[in-house]
Amino acid sequence: MRARPYALRKATNAVALGLTGAAAALTLGILFAILAYIAANGASALNWDFFTKLPAPVGETGGGLANAIVGTLKLLLLASAIGIPVGFLGGVYLAEFGHGRTGFVVRYASDVLNGVPSIVIGIVAYTLIVLPMKQFSSLAGGVALGIIMIPTVVRSTEELLKLVPSNVREAALALGVNEWKTVLFVVIPTALRGVLAGVLLSLARVAGETAPLLFTALSNRYWSHGWLEPTASLPVMVYTYAIAPYDDWHRQAWAGALVLITMVLGVNILARLGVSRRASAS
Amino acid sequence: MILKSLRMLLVPAALFTVALPASARPALVNGAGATFPYPIYSKWFAEYAKTDDKVNFNYQSIGSGGGIRQVTAGTVDFGATDGPMSDDQLKQAPGELIHFPTVLGGVVAVYNVPGVTGTLNLSQKALAGIFIGRVTKWNDAAIASANSGVSLPPNDIIVVHRSDGSGTTFIWTDFLSKASPEWSKQVGKGTSVNWPVGLGGKGNEGVTGLVKQTPHSIGYVELGYAQHNKIPFAKIENAAGEYVDCSQESVTKAAAAAVATMPADFRVSITNPAGSGVYPIASFTWLLVYRQQKEAVKGAALVRFLRWMLRDGQRFAGPLGYAPLPPEVISLEETAIEKINVPS
Repeated sequence: MRARPYALRKATNAVALGLTGAAAALTLGILFAILAYIAANGASALNWDFFTKLPAPVGETGGGLANAIVGTLKLLLLASAIGIPVGFLGGVYLAEFGHGRTGFVVRYASDVLNGVPSIVIGIVAYTLIVLPMKQFSSLAGGVALGIIMIPTVVRSTEELLKLVPSNVREAALALGVNEWKTVLFVVIPTALRGVLAGVLLSLARVAGETAPLLFTALSNRYWSHGWLEPTASLPVMVYTYAIAPYDDWHRQAWAGALVLITMVLGVNILARLGVSRRASAS
Repeated sequence: MILKSLRMLLVPAALFTVALPASARPALVNGAGATFPYPIYSKWFAEYAKTDDKVNFNYQSIGSGGGIRQVTAGTVDFGATDGPMSDDQLKQAPGELIHFPTVLGGVVAVYNVPGVTGTLNLSQKALAGIFIGRVTKWNDAAIASANSGVSLPPNDIIVVHRSDGSGTTFIWTDFLSKASPEWSKQVGKGTSVNWPVGLGGKGNEGVTGLVKQTPHSIGYVELGYAQHNKIPFAKIENAAGEYVDCSQESVTKAAAAAVATMPADFRVSITNPAGSGVYPIASFTWLLVYRQQKEAVKGAALVRFLRWMLRDGQRFAGPLGYAPLPPEVISLEETAIEKINVPS
């Protein structure tokens, strides 16, 4: 085989390097373009009222999205109450005990669930909760988000528990600690920081979900009391405001998007910090 | 560790919910449906809240089709629609639903023709021809004959319609079906139809945006959207052969023609009525309320709101691009409100 001329190889290298570099730059560029665009458009509508007032009626300027911010926090609280225990315990099972056929089925089911479009989960919550209760509610929205959280928490917990070196487990077992105690007092504490980061990432993922909320939590112009009333949420309000023909609503939609993306970004960074500190500690 | 961090995250949320007093708070009545009257409903519920502190009305504009579905499923306390429910749909509801007309609105043909600054006149034949795909150039004789003195470009017409199920589409296609036997046979009327030609836009806003950005396009939107976005809209030929601008007055005249023949259940189409000065593409928009109310507080609040809407609410219609109800219809509705049963 004849070696290709050096110049050609060098050119190929340059082209490949250029393409990968361009792709990387594009990825970063898109992220920062989105952030900058949202910040530029949203910052002007951000003020104290935005965080403390209810939405203003059509045709009146001002008002805020306080109920949507609280609504999103409530929905995330309920989603966590469902998604974290189920997902965490499922992940522990898969990592420590799910070696056989059942483990395979659970793992597979969790991956399939992860691939189900969120709007389908919304329909499930609508059919199982909204229709029988004859009521759109935070409950239904929170359950939908919780179901979406489960597979991400399961898989991240499993992966992070598996990262715990097996000699740590073996050391515990060799000292006469039984299996469940090993898992509970040795393996889980070792991986806890990473697991927590995984939970935060899944929380950030569901925070921006709009589709499953449209027909479960619906929306609400007022405060939502308790768990059985429709509630406003940031993603749905951004959607509603963005397609309306009113300039003031467009500004508030941008501001809502800014608050939402700041929340998600903050949680993401928090999660990354957790992981990196774990990495440096071990 | 997990618990602690979560608590940090979520305690503020819990505090917010607890901090609001549970005792003296107003009842929440939920409704959903049409997007077409959303601006006026939003205004009404805000104004009404100032006069009645026992209730808050939460209205979500999810589309007429969605409103009918949700009120039938009983997930909302009232619905709203721009196209009256069909007999079949009414049969599927678990109880008797009453249609209450709230205001009138017009649907206009918005266009973007570079070089044309004045208002175009569109005949019924031309309009049906454009939307069926037979009239394809702006300088077609069907358009030019009604616009002498206007220099129309020889460009292709780009038709824009709704991509989603919509009450606005129902009004538009209801009119075209009456204006053109060909349309009635080939396409028909409905909240979504099988369009022979054109691009789809989502919502009144989507169609408005597409027409604004696309030279040589034509589409249809609710009057308020055209006014707010300052897009020109055509004078439309009515049944008397006049070219009429869409205004509060010409839409009110369309309703006046229907007053004499108003059926007891208020389900009436007022597109293309006979009469002079009438704008032919207009409609009532309706609230859907169960005759037998389930809850005393919510039912009584709905009745109070309906009375207020007929008496005090109508004056908000004009500034928002709608036409108020004719007095005859108001008195018919006041009688119909008496039929609502509220448990004590």
